[in-house]
Amino acid sequence: MAEVVRREVVYALTAIITVIMIADFFLAIPQVNAVAGELRTWATIISTMALTLGAVNIIRVHSRNVRKRVPGVWYHSAFLVFIFALVTLLGLTNIDNPSANPVYKWLFDHAYVSLGQTWYAITGFYIASAAYRAFRARNIDAALLLIAGIFVMLMNAPIGEVIWAQIPAIGRWFNDVGQVPAMRTFLIVAAFGLLAFGFRTLLGRERGFYGEVA
Amino acid sequence: MGYPTTIDGILGIWTALALMLFVYSYPLYKENQLFRFAEHLFIGLSLAIAAIIAIQTTKRLAITPLMEGKVYYIVPILLGFMMYLILHRDYRWVSRYPIAILVGSSIGLGMRGTIIPNILSQIIATITPPKPGADATAWFNFVYIGIGTILAVMYFLLTFEHKGPLLYPTRLGRWVIMIGLGAYFGNTVLFRMAMLSGRAQFLLQVLGLVPF
Amino acid sequence: MSQETIWDRLQRIDRRVIYWLLFILLILPFLRPLGLPISISPQSRSLLEGLRKLKEGDVVVINISSGVSAWPECLPSLVAVSKVLIQQKAKIIYWTSFVDGHMTFEKIVEKVPGFKGLTYGVDYVHLGFYTGAEPTVAQLATNIRAIFTTDYKGTPIDQLPIMKGVNSAKDVKMVISSDTGDYGDYYIRQWRIPYGVPFAEIGIAMLFSNYQPYWPEIVFGMTGGAKGGAELEKLIGEPGDATVTMDAINTSHLLVVVAVILANLGYAATRRRR
Repeated sequence: MAEVVRREVVYALTAIITVIMIADFFLAIPQVNAVAGELRTWATIISTMALTLGAVNIIRVHSRNVRKRVPGVWYHSAFLVFIFALVTLLGLTNIDNPSANPVYKWLFDHAYVSLGQTWYAITGFYIASAAYRAFRARNIDAALLLIAGIFVMLMNAPIGEVIWAQIPAIGRWFNDVGQVPAMRTFLIVAAFGLLAFGFRTLLGRERGFYGEVA
Repeated sequence: MGYPTTIDGILGIWTALALMLFVYSYPLYKENQLFRFAEHLFIGLSLAIAAIIAIQTTKRLAITPLMEGKVYYIVPILLGFMMYLILHRDYRWVSRYPIAILVGSSIGLGMRGTIIPNILSQIIATITPPKPGADATAWFNFVYIGIGTILAVMYFLLTFEHKGPLLYPTRLGRWVIMIGLGAYFGNTVLFRMAMLSGRAQFLLQVLGLVPF
Repeated sequence: MSQETIWDRLQRIDRRVIYWLLFILLILPFLRPLGLPISISPQSRSLLEGLRKLKEGDVVVINISSGVSAWPECLPSLVAVSKVLIQQKAKIIYWTSFVDGHMTFEKIVEKVPGFKGLTYGVDYVHLGFYTGAEPTVAQLATNIRAIFTTDYKGTPIDQLPIMKGVNSAKDVKMVISSDTGDYGDYYIRQWRIPYGVPFAEIGIAMLFSNYQPYWPEIVFGMTGGAKGGAELEKLIGEPGDATVTMDAINTSHLLVVVAVILANLGYAATRRRR
């Protein structure tokens, strides 16, 4: 009985909800549409509440580092937990408008924003060094990739036209036509994959979400 | 927005610049304590802000309707709390119920929505010839896209060994895919460099060498 | 033992040299702009043509699925599109799937002078943050009030004149998404296909490749990152942040191209010697 509740009921629930969502699209039955709408709202609420799941897990890991005084790491972890607690408390002082707290707003506007932009941009360095150290035209496949990449890069940069007047036209061809077969293939193949995945879920054969191997 | 004139504004932009330089000290120099400080500060801030936004949005979406009399909203709220049992080894299975709702909704919506734009429309676009009067380039592009798509799809026939009659078409298909990935790489470089240029501009703005 | 050549030494160069070179090359164009002309893509042209078909009072949704981290890529297009929508006298509803999306909205309002002559809540509004990926986007298409009961400041949605009679995709004339990930796909699957709402993508450059197969039948127009933003700025005759960024793009891209070519020449030279 415990196994039925832990497994079979869950797979059945997943399948039923999947069918309801599909039926909602194809059938204009008010009851089905209403249930589907309500389930979507519930999914939104669950997703929203799950936003802090990652935070809880990370705080657990770092708290463990502090408790065990892991050398070289524990003081950084302590700082992280402190910042998390401080900013959360500051935000909770006015949950409807956290930015009304001047310290929260200052940390958000100047620390969080700057660090976010900085982290997002750091990969620019790595792509430049990868271009130099890793991108070798070892065979025809790699050569085609590099040729297409170089023309698109020089098309994106206005200086490409200064180097050679034909670069924008060739780069535009790679961008507008050359890449279409590949991108279209990815879309088609991924769509069939999603359909196959969905049918496996409907049949209860897809169990990866629940931490099991089918 | 010009150069800030208030104390907290000036302190803010210089703090932002300092944090940026702490992070970039890692690629430009080597790993160091300032980088670790900035890294952990960002993680702590991100988690806290996500938590605040989650609480705020949950209040708006679920708690307020519940307080206004929609008693059945207790169900999704309970399901949301059940998600946290994923962290407990013995009761992890309880989190499967809210996950079932998320997975079922997403897969159902994906399945119903993917057929037209990602299969039917793509096939139609591939086989639709250029309009009458189109030039040779348009016809070349049509043939390239049509044949290229077929060859690239053949490459993904992974349940058949790529030999015999499949050897050369799949090889050509791989070349077509490489061209596509090359163009994607070119756009990726644009993305990364644009982001980094924003940071370079910020450095100059704080130093007062270019206007905000 | 063979002598080490320049190619061997170049192959072993410290990567920090490349990083510093890149950073300096990114800084220089801001101090000495090159001002090279920008070519316009057909996708940007079709985006603008689509926007120009809007009539006074048409409701347009702008979905901000890019954070402040992506401002150099996405903000210029958002600003340019907002300017055109104001010129067309459309009603604009913003909403966001990023926790810092309200900052992007406020930055757009700051950078678009046209908002000064408009009334918040009547001509434009920011409804706030939503999460939940595709189920939420699908729910927004059928019942906006199930997800947003207030705007981002807490004003009840029914007190906002712009939201009168607007509660689903059927009431919206166009949806434009500024993405760094999958949200454009969700809007195609849940808004564009079922309800026929015209859709445009003004996200990061990589998504230009992803959405190219959809153009122009399903996605009527799109821009690709900072370059796309610069194209839009040129088309509307108002150079802005993206046009300035393109100078830095010149030098950085040149560095990457030269690096790839040099590295491959060196690889060919060392391989032939072996």
